[in-house]
Amino acid sequence: MGRAGLAGIVAFAVGLTTVLSLLLGNNPALFGDQPGSEELARRLALPGDVLLRLLVIVIALSIVIGIVNLLYIHIGRLTRGKFYSAVLLASFAFTIFWLTVNRGDTSLLEAVQVPIESALAALLFLSLALGGARVMQKRADIWGLLFVAVVLSVLLGSLPLAELAPVRAFSAWLLAVPVSAGARAILLGIALGTIVVGVRAVLGLDRSYRG
Amino acid sequence: MSEEFNWLDYAEPDEEAPAPSARPGLRRFLPRRPTLPSLPGRPRLPSLPSIPSLPRLPRLRRRAQPALDKPSAADLLSVHEERPLDELDDRLQSLRERAVASSQPEAEARQALYDVDELLAAPEILRKPGGVISAAALSKAQRQQVELLKDIVGAPQAGDASVSRIRLSPPLFSLSAIPRIIGTAVLLLMASLPFVSSDFAEGELPPSEFHEDRHGPTTLYNLLDNLTPADYVLVAFEYGPTAAGELDAIAELFLRHIVAQRAVPLIVSSNPIAIAHAQNIISRVNRSVAFSGESLRHGRDYFILRYLPGGPLGLRELSENFADVARVSYKGTLTGLQFDSLDDVTYVVMIAERAEDMRNWAEQVAPQLDRTPLLAASGYAAAPLAQVYADSMDEIVGLVVGYRDAYTYAEMLEANFAELLRDASELGSGSAEASPAKIDEQPRNEAAQAERPLATAVPPASAIPPPAVAPLPTTTPRPPNTETPTETALPTATATQQMISVVEVTSPRQVRIRRGPTTADDILQLAQAGDMFQIIATNGDGSWYNIALSNGLDGWIAGILVEEKALSMAEFLGGGGEASARLSDERVYLRREWSLSLGKNRPRYYQSNAPITGDIPEYVLMRDRSAEVPRLRAMTLGTLTTVVTIALGNVIFALSALRRRQRNGERK
Repeated sequence: MGRAGLAGIVAFAVGLTTVLSLLLGNNPALFGDQPGSEELARRLALPGDVLLRLLVIVIALSIVIGIVNLLYIHIGRLTRGKFYSAVLLASFAFTIFWLTVNRGDTSLLEAVQVPIESALAALLFLSLALGGARVMQKRADIWGLLFVAVVLSVLLGSLPLAELAPVRAFSAWLLAVPVSAGARAILLGIALGTIVVGVRAVLGLDRSYRG
Repeated sequence: MSEEFNWLDYAEPDEEAPAPSARPGLRRFLPRRPTLPSLPGRPRLPSLPSIPSLPRLPRLRRRAQPALDKPSAADLLSVHEERPLDELDDRLQSLRERAVASSQPEAEARQALYDVDELLAAPEILRKPGGVISAAALSKAQRQQVELLKDIVGAPQAGDASVSRIRLSPPLFSLSAIPRIIGTAVLLLMASLPFVSSDFAEGELPPSEFHEDRHGPTTLYNLLDNLTPADYVLVAFEYGPTAAGELDAIAELFLRHIVAQRAVPLIVSSNPIAIAHAQNIISRVNRSVAFSGESLRHGRDYFILRYLPGGPLGLRELSENFADVARVSYKGTLTGLQFDSLDDVTYVVMIAERAEDMRNWAEQVAPQLDRTPLLAASGYAAAPLAQVYADSMDEIVGLVVGYRDAYTYAEMLEANFAELLRDASELGSGSAEASPAKIDEQPRNEAAQAERPLATAVPPASAIPPPAVAPLPTTTPRPPNTETPTETALPTATATQQMISVVEVTSPRQVRIRRGPTTADDILQLAQAGDMFQIIATNGDGSWYNIALSNGLDGWIAGILVEEKALSMAEFLGGGGEASARLSDERVYLRREWSLSLGKNRPRYYQSNAPITGDIPEYVLMRDRSAEVPRLRAMTLGTLTTVVTIALGNVIFALSALRRRQRNGERK
């Protein structure tokens, strides 16, 4: 048995244990009113609980590894004269220094990151608005026309103008019926996709741990 | 993953080459994978001579003149006469302009490509040997696409040293960017005008109450308004700085509403930046409170719990092991909070930026909540998907969406608390401690505050509701402009022996207490199996009971969900003797119930414990709202301008497309 086979067996065993533990654990009703059913349900929940908590710890640790890796990469780029890497490293060092000196202070977040990210969101709006104005340049057909009509309906429906009450009603219907149906379909698709990916991972069909 | 793939110098290893015999590292000690016997392949069909085997190329290249052996993108553009250059999108036009610009001074490069007038130069890519990506194996289809890309952009083939590399210098300004610049300038100008002048006040402001058809936000408001000082509320900040402009307002209002009633918010997030941002919101609340010594303090008035890593897994851990999560603060210190499960908190409030956050909470947390409702708010982008969950799941209450709903929430909140402040002021004309100014001077219940972090969380007060009227000892003052001069009966020694009619909730599921005796009425409160309430009245056919709630309100509960009983007051309180004793020490004020439906409900008054252990109106009323109205106007004007821009742009482009098609038809 190769390394891939061993990894597959471990993944299969862990995955199956977790699934069974989550399904059967903490549910004494499954075992009837017999004495000890609650204890049994509690014990069955334990493996899944422990494995999930281990996973959360591993994920938290991976964030630390990610930060170290990021620094390592940008230090390497710095040796090749990359200016942006120097900016990143200097910002990182300054932020650590600032938070060490002013413990618990979040003024950097408030003064730098929130305005920058908000500005990026505003830029995204401008891009979308200008992109919306050029839909017919890219796709001058019935589907492009339909897209533009729906966008305009929803935007007009969101305007607080008394004259647009009929459009607002249509926009509300649009959001309540077709959009809601589409959202439910997406949720169903996500659920089915999650099951498929989960089964593939448990059965060792995914490549990530096959060596 | 640090190394970039060198497309130009990439050379695919020969598939036929024998594998190296020596294997690196520890793999040499592992047994080799056995070679499976080859299965019989598909029979090889004879090729049909009449069908030419064309390479898989995009339509543009298939239409190119066959005389060009290996045309570049510039060749394709120059020889393709059927499609005018101005039809190309901006990116291709920009590429073409850059290629033309860069090919002018590069005579050598032009010479390297035979019979080419225009040149699309490839950017310089430095080769870095080694690395993870450069060792990645490409499939056959991917290799073909690499070669195709090299052909299209006119890149030199591997090993072709005759072509010198060209360093591109992009032009500072492109004519194709003019419409974008104009559109951006117009949008920015129109969105900025309401901040400059009040003459650009287009559109109506959001209503001061949620529309009567929107029961979700109204119920959410009611539930938070029924909080008591014993309640803990889990507040999930699931949004980052990107959505701060949209969701900060509602997050701040939720926090103000909770802390104004002396309930304790427990802030949690699966987004580490959101945790830091929550501190800023708390600071903002504190800054707005003018009097000193009353600011919120971590570990006493609010808690920020530790970060939940792992997205949905972190939320799963929250719902399964809330006792552990609540034990540690974001600083890594112990909070002193002791909970058994997530059902020990009164409400869970979740503010989501993305639909995925809403999905995670609905799937990982909401199913684990037996008694606690999940109150949801989201941004506009997440609203369509979040609304589906709010409509489908009984555990989820909401949805409050975006900045406009935040404005309505603020209006409701301020009207309610302003009324309380006014009541207290007028009531206090005869008693010093009742005036708002004196509220600040009242000694805080320091013992209770000190105990709070260490106290075991208790079920919400609604579990054993004291009767609304009987234990209140004082004469109820008259509220302004009201005809409800109710005087409460003085408690007597025999009050606890009095028999009263109560209902006990028998439904195993959560029961909704509503404002009126129909399911269409707003929800005021939720009740669990075993909760008991004193009966005030019944409706005509006895299918609904009018009951007294713990906070002085009265509500209606469906008869099929409860069982009627007759109990003595002592039995009814059932260990609530302490509560009634505590109540007797407190002053009782009248507080106006907010009329939640326009023109439907008349204002009325109910009794409330204030201000010592009750509401702190300053946390709600001392907000800076100066930017709200200009911002809403700017949103309206910006949206209007966007509509005009999109409509105008598409009409122009549609007419242009029609004219082009007509011209092409005439040419054919």
